[in-house]
This record gives sequence, structure tokens and C-alpha cells, in this order.
Amino acid sequence: MSTEQVRAPQRPTVSRTQPEGVVTETPASPAVLQADDLHVYYGEFLAVKDVDLDVPPHEIVAMIGPSGCGKSTVLRCLNRMNDLIEGCRVTGAVRYHGIDLYQPAVNPVEVRRRIGMVFQKPNPFPKSIYENIVFGPRISGMPKAGFEELVETSLRKAALWDEVKDRLKSSALGLSGGQQQRLCIARAIASNPDVLLMDEPCSALDPIATGRIEDLMHELKADYTIVIVTHNMQQAARVSDKTAFFTVEVNPDSDRRTGVLVEYDDTEKIFSAPADQRTENYVTGRFG
Amino acid sequence: MADELRKGFHRDLETIRRDLVRLAALTTEMVTRATDALLDGDAVTAQMIIDGDDVLDVRSLEIEHACFRLLALQAPMAADLRVLAATMRINGYLERAADLAVNIAKGAMRIQGADIPARLRGIIALMSDEAVRLLRTATDAYLDGDGALGAAIEDMDNHLDQLQRDFIEAMFALHETAAMAVQPAVQLALISRYYERIGDHAVSIGERVAFIETGLPAEPPAAERIRRRRAAHPA
Repeated sequence: MSTEQVRAPQRPTVSRTQPEGVVTETPASPAVLQADDLHVYYGEFLAVKDVDLDVPPHEIVAMIGPSGCGKSTVLRCLNRMNDLIEGCRVTGAVRYHGIDLYQPAVNPVEVRRRIGMVFQKPNPFPKSIYENIVFGPRISGMPKAGFEELVETSLRKAALWDEVKDRLKSSALGLSGGQQQRLCIARAIASNPDVLLMDEPCSALDPIATGRIEDLMHELKADYTIVIVTHNMQQAARVSDKTAFFTVEVNPDSDRRTGVLVEYDDTEKIFSAPADQRTENYVTGRFG
Repeated sequence: MADELRKGFHRDLETIRRDLVRLAALTTEMVTRATDALLDGDAVTAQMIIDGDDVLDVRSLEIEHACFRLLALQAPMAADLRVLAATMRINGYLERAADLAVNIAKGAMRIQGADIPARLRGIIALMSDEAVRLLRTATDAYLDGDGALGAAIEDMDNHLDQLQRDFIEAMFALHETAAMAVQPAVQLALISRYYERIGDHAVSIGERVAFIETGLPAEPPAAERIRRRRAAHPA
């Protein structure tokens, strides 16, 4: 592993995990991910501002809010997926086990391996189920001898093994939507991440497939830390330990809309007695 | 921002709130009328109160069902959830308070014709006024969403508790000079207890109103007793 790669041990201390030349200005925090005074711009346009958020290990954090509030933008910042968007600029810090992911020495590919992502629409490669799982590990140079075990372990963790074990060589595109999404989770798991980011992972699924993914998230919590963006408040209430509510502020001069983190607290608190009136208005459907 | 969403749901919720306030008004009126029946020896009024309780019970069940329906269908959250959860509890307290008014009316029928000493009549009138005041305050607090007023009812209830103790003491004092018959004595002692219990229900209602505002559950009185016992006898 080169010094450009981020090393994240299971129970890290900053001094042990720092790649050479990377200056870490904060002490190790129990948080797996920390957004610190995060601002995201698309060109000159401020899309999201002032986000401070700690994601504790082995918890599920849900991000909710109306369209355009920046929740998906913030999610994508957590594994530098926004780098791929032209003109996107991030200020402030996103720390992963205390390491600022936006320092020049950090390799974004390695970041995305450790912080996996599952998207709204299931997006399996047009290959076999087996090949979907080993695709990433093959590229990163994992010896082929370990593939069989990796495929089974990953599919078991994603609660898909029993359904597909007899047709691993079949096309992933022949799976149902819910199965495809679990395959995408298995594919993310195969790269041995410790965080999974999920961007509305159930919005294209029926209630039963949704229920399976939600059950799966509870099981995955033992091994991973999960951040999920969801439009479904009930889903956030069901699955998450903590919830972040974002909203949109409209600049009266420019009419520009900027996302802002309003409240971040235990999920039970957010949905039973939130501290901020804007949260209250959103979760009870009282706007304006 | 968009206009208010879930208008139908919020309209239903407001209807439930109004129905609960009506139930509270009915209950409060039953207490006043039961006292009148008792002090006037009016068996007809007493019987009307007893019969009227069936209507109140039906209304209370309708409120409970309406709450349950919204819980099942609307997945209420935050303030809406707190209002519904608290309303279900308050509904129960009111139904029990009305039952106590019925008990007073039944007591009035049992001792109809017996002479209630003036000293006791005076305290009964005071207890009734106090119970009514507590119920009204609790209802106002609920209607206005005034958690501080709701929480204050516990202290206000001390007066009613004291009146009930005064009543029992007065009964013993009167008994020394002129022995009371057992039946009226037992009924009157029980009746004083019914007023005191109505006050306790008003306190519970006030606690739920405070919960609607703060989201913090009322601390059970037992918690304070446990703390005091632990402080006195550390393990």
C-alpha cells in the first residue's frame, strides 16, 4: 500500500493511521466520519453550507429533508464522489477516522473502497453475479484463489446467497430489483469497506424488497457504519439510530437555494420531540 | 416553502382535540351537578347523572377510536404524535373522573334524606369547587397548549388534598358530639375521597399537557420517593 493510500484500522488512533505528509489537526475521535464546517459549491453557487456532523461507528445515520436540501450532496462528499462532478468544490473538512479526506495526499479511489456507496437505482454491471462481486477486488489485485470465498461471504452478508448460490454465473440483470440492490450491497461489501453510504437505496423497490433491505441494514450494522439518504421519513424512523434533518434556505436577493443542516440528534428525538421548529414543521407536514 | 401538507390529517387531529375539550366540559359539569344532587338530596338529578355517564363513555370510546385510527393510518410524528399519545391518556383520565362524579351521585342516592351537618356541607362545596377549578384549568391548559399551566396543577391540587383531610377530621370531631349513622358516615368519607381523586386526574391531565409541549415524560412520583429512600439509606 503506498503512502498515498488511507489506512483505516478497526480501532484507529490518528498517529498510527496517518499517511506520511498528512497533517491531522484534530485528535482521534470515536466518530468514523466527521463533517466539519462543510460547504459545497457548484461553481459559484453555494449548494450546502455549515454542515457539522459526526457519524459514530456501527450506527445508522439517516439524512432527511425536502428536495434540494443538499442531503445527497453531503452524502457524496463523505467519499469524495463529488470530485467526479465538474465545478464542484468543497470547503471545510470531512474526516475519516480523523484523517481529512480532502487533503491532496489522499487517494480518492482508496477512499471510495473504504467508504462504499449504494445508489438509488440498482446498478449491477452487465455481467454475471459472480463477476459483479469480484470486479473490484480483481482490479485492486486480489489473488484469484480467494474469490470463491469472497463471493460467498459477500452474498451471505447481503442476505442474497441462498437465492443466487445456484446461478452465480447467470447475468446479474436477470435478478429482481430488490435482489439487484442487495447484489450492489454485496459488491460494495466485497471491497472490504467499513462505511456504506446509501443514496435512497429503496426508492425503486416495492415494500417487501424494501423491508428486506431494511432488515439487512440492521444486520450490517454489526460490521459496518451506514449513512443513508432517504425521502421516506418512516424508513428513517425505522432503520436509523441518528437522524440529520436538512432544509433549504432561499436567499431573498438572488433567489438561490442553499441546503443547511438544521438538526442532528437521536432518531427517537427527531421524530418524537425535535428541538428545532423547522424540523417539527417538516416531520409533521407543516411547512412555511 | 410549500403550503401546509397533510391538511386532512391535521383537520382530523383538531376535531379530536375539540371533542376531547367537549368531553372535559361534560365531565366538569357532571361534578358540579353531582355536588348539587348530594347537597340538595335530589335523587332525580343523581339518577340523571348516573344515566348520562353512558353517553360520556360512548364519546370517550369514540375519541379513543379516532386517535387509534390516526395512529394507524397517518404515522403521526413529533407534536402530532405527542398530541395523540397524550390525548389518549387524557381521555382515560376524564372518563375516570366522570365515573367518580357518578360515584358521588350514587352516594347521594344512598344517603338521600340523611341530614348532612353544616360543617361537612361547607367542606363538600369547597371540595367540589376545587375539583371543578382543577378540571377547568387542565382543560384550558390542553386547549391552549400551555404546558407550564398544566404542570402547575400538581401544586394547585394540594389545596384539595388538604380539604379532604379537613373533611375527615371534621367527621371525627362531629362524631364526638353527635354520633353519625354508619351508612351516611361511610358514604360521606368515600365521597370526599372521590373529589380528591378527581383532583388527581386533573393533575395527570396537566402532566400530559406539559408532555405535549416538552416531549419529556412526567416523572413518576415513585422516582422521587426512591431517591429520598436511597439518600436516607445509601447502599
